[in-house]
Amino acid sequence: MMRCCFVWPAAAILLFVVSGCAGVQSALDPTGAEAERINTLSWVLIIFCTAVFIITAIIASVALFANERWRQQLAGERLVIGAGLIFPAVTLTFLLAYGIFVLGMGGGSADTSDGLRISVVGERWWWRVIYRDENGRRIESANELRIPVGRPVKIDLTSADVIHSFWVPKLAGKLDMIPGRTNTLTLDVTSPGVSRGQCAEYCGGAHALMSFFVIAMPEKDFAAWLADEAKDAHQPTDELETRGQALFIASGCGACHTVRGTAATGAIGPDLTHVGSRHSLAAATLPNNAEAFARWIRDGQHIKPENLMPPYPIFSDEELASLSSYLAQLR
Amino acid sequence: MIPGTFAAWKRLALATGIIAVFLAAGIAAFIWSGVYNVAATREHFAITTWLLETLRRQSVETYSYFVESPPPLDDPDLISLGAAHYEGGCAPCHSRPGEPIDAIVSGMLPPPPPLADPVARQSSKEVFWTVKHGLKYTGMPAWSSQERGDEVWALTAFLRQFPRDVAGDYFRLSGVDRLPPETGESPTHGGGTVALTQCIRCHDDADRETISNLVPRLAGQSPDYLLRTLAEYAAGTRPSGIMQPVAESLDQDEMRELAAYYARLGAKPQPNNDRPDAKRIERGRILATNGDSENGVPPCLACHSASRAAAFPALAGQNADYLTGQLRLWQSGGRDTTGYGQIMETVARRLTDEQISDVAAYFASLPPSAALDRPTSPEARQ
Repeated sequence: MMRCCFVWPAAAILLFVVSGCAGVQSALDPTGAEAERINTLSWVLIIFCTAVFIITAIIASVALFANERWRQQLAGERLVIGAGLIFPAVTLTFLLAYGIFVLGMGGGSADTSDGLRISVVGERWWWRVIYRDENGRRIESANELRIPVGRPVKIDLTSADVIHSFWVPKLAGKLDMIPGRTNTLTLDVTSPGVSRGQCAEYCGGAHALMSFFVIAMPEKDFAAWLADEAKDAHQPTDELETRGQALFIASGCGACHTVRGTAATGAIGPDLTHVGSRHSLAAATLPNNAEAFARWIRDGQHIKPENLMPPYPIFSDEELASLSSYLAQLR
Repeated sequence: MIPGTFAAWKRLALATGIIAVFLAAGIAAFIWSGVYNVAATREHFAITTWLLETLRRQSVETYSYFVESPPPLDDPDLISLGAAHYEGGCAPCHSRPGEPIDAIVSGMLPPPPPLADPVARQSSKEVFWTVKHGLKYTGMPAWSSQERGDEVWALTAFLRQFPRDVAGDYFRLSGVDRLPPETGESPTHGGGTVALTQCIRCHDDADRETISNLVPRLAGQSPDYLLRTLAEYAAGTRPSGIMQPVAESLDQDEMRELAAYYARLGAKPQPNNDRPDAKRIERGRILATNGDSENGVPPCLACHSASRAAAFPALAGQNADYLTGQLRLWQSGGRDTTGYGQIMETVARRLTDEQISDVAAYFASLPPSAALDRPTSPEARQ
């Protein structure tokens, strides 16, 4: 009886711990070139350290418990000089060189002459994402990054306020976003899929709620998506959505948000032109559906304290429903 | 007489206890019997009066020490706003300057004093503190909105005028001379409601301007906005010691009629005598049109243009001092209790003092009928 009571929680905990190793935000499940190199480096270090630990433990046991003849073997200076000085000096030098080599490859290794430029600006507490295509056309989005697979893409990282850090563990190491400076990160994604990123530098109260999704797509799909993203916003079709649009404009939402193709041209908050097509709302804090829109509009301060958007408790349930269905159809 | 033994101590304690019990019983019997006369016709003992007055004087002096520094109290707009509130809120007890105290209120104990003497003795901070907090054991009430120190200063500014003889000027200062003659057959002033006669003492109407630059012009506002504001004042969610008593006295129909009257009135040009410099107005125009996205300030016209939501106010032609005062009030957290107020509070807190003055000057400089368009062109981005 005792044993079974003990085993199940232990198994559950183990399962929980191991489940952290897979998933959209795991450095141990890499799909990007840099993350793969980092992953290899981590495993090399883990295996090496484990081996050293086991051998040291064996030698210590021998010294403590083995018979006289074995212990005699260890007593000389040979072991101290060989395993205590030469071995660490050689292996650590090699590992250090390997580590520096791997980490140094991140920045300049890519050659991206095809003209796609992506900038990500850290804001409190969301991500402004700006694509510039071959023709220099500027396409703004937010809180979600889409990139083509199979070729390196340079991401210019900067910040509008405080220091943030851009980290997508599945794709690459982290890189700080510093106000007044542009750091460039190269993402070279090997297979299509969704990964999750996270701000990795404490940037204020809602720092933990500043995440995003990266969607890696085959080249052709990406081109089609970018062409779609560059288009103006979808015009509302039914009556509820049309009322929502009128309310959006009359209530001044356009002061801070842009919905291209309408009177909303604000630049303070996230661009909402195609907000309905994103994988999440409020920087990966909420799922993307009409209910989440309504919650955010009415009580965003509760969801993400101190965010820069004023609360809008003025809308009736009916008005909120029309507003959120308008926003949800902006695909 | 100091007891020497334990037994003597015991006797003394017992005696004290017995006396205390009898005393308590006596006091209880006195209270329960109702012998004490609470009639206002019966004066206090001289010692009681002295004690109460001394306490009052010392307490006001001590607590007013912590009052923040006053704004310039010789501002005519401040004085006039204070006078106008005095007419509605204070004159019923303290009477108009130069007139005797009303027979009914003079039956109070203590009777409300004519204010010229006490005000002359007190500092501005003491007057402010008294008006804001009221006085215990007198009939003096506290200001009904403790958040509105700015309003209390207006009344203080008017009261500071008492040492000089304000009686001759009172009807003009308080707006009493703006009221239609009481005997006239049209007390409704064309608005269809008697209540309007009280609005126009301070606010504008078809012919006249507001009594003070600190009072908002209402002509041309939407009925939705006016109704919402009156409801917020009446409920106390938009704090104002001046407007709350007025709004509370109105019923739904009167509110609707008043809102309709002012909406119908249409805007009229502002006689702007002292125009601030053109540079300030231009800076205000840029802020109102483009905002200041660096500091998270959205363009004012996104919500206050001609195509705004019905419950948002129009700002074109509004009095600059009123706008400035309200934005400052938002900054100090005095308007965060309504849903609409919470939206504006976020924005107001991001404005600098300079920006507040600029944008107030800009809106005041506009003709009220200006059909302001919301900004449509995207501003320059980095």
